Amino acid sequence: MRLKIILALSVLSGLILSWNLHTMFLKVPDELNQGAIFRIIYFHVPSAITSFAGFFLAMFCSVGYLIKKDLRFDSVAASITEVSFAFTTITLITGSIWGRIIWGIWWTWDYRLTSFFICWLLYVGYLMLRRAIDDPTTRARLCAVLSIFACVDVVIVWKSIEWFRTQHPGPVLSIRSGGGMAPGMEAPIWWNFLALMMLATVLVLIRMRQEAMQREIDTMRRYAHAF
Amino acid sequence: MSFLQQALAIAGKDLRSEIRSKETVNASLSFALVILMLFSFAFDPGSDQVREISGGLLWLVYAFAGTLILNRSFARELVNDCLDALISSPASGAQLFFGKCLANYLLLMVVECVSFPVFIIFYNARWPARWGLLFLVMLLGTWGITVIGTLFSAMTVNLRLRELMLPTLVYPMLIPALLGAIRLSTVLIAGEALETDDQIWFKLLAGFDVIFTVLSLALVEIVLVG
Amino acid sequence: MDQNYTFMFYGFLVAWLVVIIYVISIALRERKLRAELDRVKRMVDDREHEPKR
Repeated sequence: MRLKIILALSVLSGLILSWNLHTMFLKVPDELNQGAIFRIIYFHVPSAITSFAGFFLAMFCSVGYLIKKDLRFDSVAASITEVSFAFTTITLITGSIWGRIIWGIWWTWDYRLTSFFICWLLYVGYLMLRRAIDDPTTRARLCAVLSIFACVDVVIVWKSIEWFRTQHPGPVLSIRSGGGMAPGMEAPIWWNFLALMMLATVLVLIRMRQEAMQREIDTMRRYAHAF
Repeated sequence: MSFLQQALAIAGKDLRSEIRSKETVNASLSFALVILMLFSFAFDPGSDQVREISGGLLWLVYAFAGTLILNRSFARELVNDCLDALISSPASGAQLFFGKCLANYLLLMVVECVSFPVFIIFYNARWPARWGLLFLVMLLGTWGITVIGTLFSAMTVNLRLRELMLPTLVYPMLIPALLGAIRLSTVLIAGEALETDDQIWFKLLAGFDVIFTVLSLALVEIVLVG
Repeated sequence: MDQNYTFMFYGFLVAWLVVIIYVISIALRERKLRAELDRVKRMVDDREHEPKR
């Protein structure tokens, strides 16, 4: 059943992404001020939302594990964190490439980029902690606590860096140059967002299956050594 | 025994052990002085540039030197299974954690209070007129570092890569507190007036301390015991 | 303008590259896990059918 869901979501996501590529390159005109490079927004913004959502979803699963002590919650949290980490990487790199054209520099300490970089670092910490612990229960417990701390911290980090940067204004990263976008140009962002969420779900489901496999291996190993 | 009595007993144990051996504070203090010296190569001491980055410099020194103290906090209990003994004692995880926080806090404040005059001398800064407010910033900022550092010290105590994991996990978490402390310290050391905008940083520091103290006290039992 | 298109291409390339690399890493992990699972299953079978000493 799960395999069917994974397959269906992959196909659907692939179709939407292909259709969007067609829309992005052929239908939508170049933006007035930015030129062609603005099309990066169609990947940059959906990736950003997906990666940010990952923090909160992982936190809920971590709380779920601490309450229920069911390792499946831990698998979900770990899978979501890993996939969100990939999307955070995409956000940072695409944002940097966009900045290279628009501002002429690869990186700046604009508050959104800085906050996202900190999110990336927090994810790295989580993934490193997972690798460093062998015992599944200890790993689940400690990573759950870290996930809760990271999520609370992300909220505080986001606000505090926004205040810091409004006091020391740096270059203003406005993906939307001037208020909003023309209606035709905004739609592909949300379609791409849907497609990327589906892709993220597929990847999370696959990772969860792998975590279940790992649990089975651990159980069998313990059983084998009991002889 | 009440919560505070238990915590103070544990804090007293740690402090007594530290006073007798003096290993952690000495190492931390030397490290702080080395960093101050290294920064003097990167920035021209006495210039206007240093005035702008003075707060940042100071808090980087405190954060790096503090990690040494925080790392030792739970690691010192590994010998002879002392950590297991502490966990199985009548003191709850929260009491153990709070006691260790108090001890670490005191040690960290000692290192900071000694390195601050050294910083003033090395970088030709003037003693801040509003040193009371600066001391308040140090108190608030240091508590943030201590709480997060002690919890993560408990988390990483049994890992192989303890010394590597603690800084990797702690520094991104501390960024809001460090931001506030850096901003306020820079303004106060330069002798400038505190704008109304800057008062938000005091609130941020206080809020950060309260939120993470409560969160840590709630979750430390899970970290230590399960 | 030319540079604009080049960098846009790089941007898309990077996004897809990260996804592809991640999918490949997942696939490799799957293969490793399956091999390990088979090995452990064989180990359990061997232990179960070992003559009792």
